Amino acid sequence: MERTQEEKYLTIALTKGRLADRTLALFEKIGISMEEMKDGSRKLIFENREQRLRFFLAKGPDVPTYVELGAADIGVVGSDIIMEEKRRVYEVLDLGFGRCTMCVCGPEEAREKLRHHEMIRVASKYPNIAREYFYNEKQQTVDIIKLNGSVELGPIVGLSDVIVDIVETGSTLRENGLGVLEEVCPLSARMIVNQVSMQMENVRIRGLIAMLRAAQSASANLKFASRKRGKA
Amino acid sequence: MNRQEEERALLHTPEGVRDVYGKEWKEKRAVMSRILREMTLYGYEELQTPSFEFSDVFSREIGTTPSRELYRFFDREGETLSLRPDFTPSCARCAAKYYMEESGPIRFCYQGSAFLNRSSLQGKLRESTQTGVELIGDGSVFADAEAIALLIHALQSAGLRNFCVSIGNADYFRGVWEAAGLDGTTEAALRELISGKNFFAAEKLLEEAGVAGEERERLLRGSDFIGTAETLDEAAASADNPRSQRAVERLRAVCRVLREYGFDEELRFDLSMLSNYNYYTGIIFRGFTYGVGDAVASGGRYDTLLARFGKAAPAIGFMIPVDTLLEALRRQRISVPVPGEAVRLLYTEETFSEKLREAEKLRAGGQPVVLEPAH
Repeated sequence: MERTQEEKYLTIALTKGRLADRTLALFEKIGISMEEMKDGSRKLIFENREQRLRFFLAKGPDVPTYVELGAADIGVVGSDIIMEEKRRVYEVLDLGFGRCTMCVCGPEEAREKLRHHEMIRVASKYPNIAREYFYNEKQQTVDIIKLNGSVELGPIVGLSDVIVDIVETGSTLRENGLGVLEEVCPLSARMIVNQVSMQMENVRIRGLIAMLRAAQSASANLKFASRKRGKA
Repeated sequence: MNRQEEERALLHTPEGVRDVYGKEWKEKRAVMSRILREMTLYGYEELQTPSFEFSDVFSREIGTTPSRELYRFFDREGETLSLRPDFTPSCARCAAKYYMEESGPIRFCYQGSAFLNRSSLQGKLRESTQTGVELIGDGSVFADAEAIALLIHALQSAGLRNFCVSIGNADYFRGVWEAAGLDGTTEAALRELISGKNFFAAEKLLEEAGVAGEERERLLRGSDFIGTAETLDEAAASADNPRSQRAVERLRAVCRVLREYGFDEELRFDLSMLSNYNYYTGIIFRGFTYGVGDAVASGGRYDTLLARFGKAAPAIGFMIPVDTLLEALRRQRISVPVPGEAVRLLYTEETFSEKLREAEKLRAGGQPVVLEPAH
């Protein structure tokens, strides 16, 4: 069994886009580089032969699926997706980047509607998170409409009273006359691991987690030090 | 809809259920027979329980399944019935009903379909085949080891080579948390986080509960104890309360007995393996292998379950999800030996009698034969 552990590739699913870039940068810090992936290749899967690692890019909501079903051992994905998809995976590490907030947003007039248990319409890309928040935390009955993008349009064209969506800077909202009305929860990028892989590849995966943790705290210390230096 | 379309629509099965036929069924049947043979060799008696029972048998206190994942319906008297989501509650009910006076151990095994009304598009079956055993009335460490040994033999008999059985003890963390004086709500939340290996959220939860620094570290350290038998020493060293110590001691004892069986490298220990199932009381274990994202076996000790049916008796058991196991075998390219193909004998009206004699002779010798008309 020990022998095959060496031979086997660990497969890592990354969320396409900025999250993938940040993840690769973090992996580079611990000595895992994927040169192939940087030059905008159209390949779907990339290998690092010496380290027996394989990376591929996927749409965010698919990452937990790949990991749960064991097609990938490890995944990096936003915690919004983990909450929404509710897959059975181990959530082992907060990577600290991709920070943003899940919020209830809408025009200022809608604020009043959130105060009472009045029935309102909520548009969201995250129907599960929205339902959980309104039903279990606020005890408010809502009608949830699933949209697939440009959710901000909902209140503008009168499809819904409010939206539940990710807010990073809030500039899109402001440009469209909307604002944050309530905060649902903070979000960030997470590393998830398949339950079987955690057992079968325990040594390698725990090693990887430990290295990433060390790299994180090292860079946190560095930031802290440079801020101190800046002050002085 | 015209007639042709209607007929075509009838060809589909509903989502989550499927036909198994041809070579796939032969392999499934072969694997199930091999596993059943192992169970029989250990003296387990096969039993058949009904596909549906009163819903109360699978209620929250007893069962493993959230009620919305049960297939429920009513009978003519208005009683709520459920298709079984797993066999253990039914086996426990059987043991309590028919063996109430029996004080010695009872050994059951089963094979059959279990039904889970899961959400769609998750790539999972709603009707799946399960096979497993229950050893009732023996609370000893030898019973623990027997269940695990039988599981290893069963998986080996199916042809699996690269696998491990991970063993934990729910009591370890209970002891640590009890000693720290955590309240029920925090403990329940913590259990869910630890079993999801969500350690940073667990850390945060403890921080919010006002557990600081070293104490917090100590409460979470157990989550690092995944590995071979040596991890048990570390685990024992880091928890000095009697309950956790007993939990580790139990695992060591199980490990010693399993070595007698000749098993060692198949074993892993994982003290962060907790179950959300309420019914597990002591050791819990799962079988893992390459190629599938789910465990190929799960089991544990449930010493309080039978009391719910009026018979206080310790029990331990495990279940193998046969479909998952077969998928693992396919992914690992392990071929399952299946009985030979049938030979075809062609007959004409004139030669039929002669061919029939030949077929009878072959069939008597165990050779499958198909008689077909020659064109």
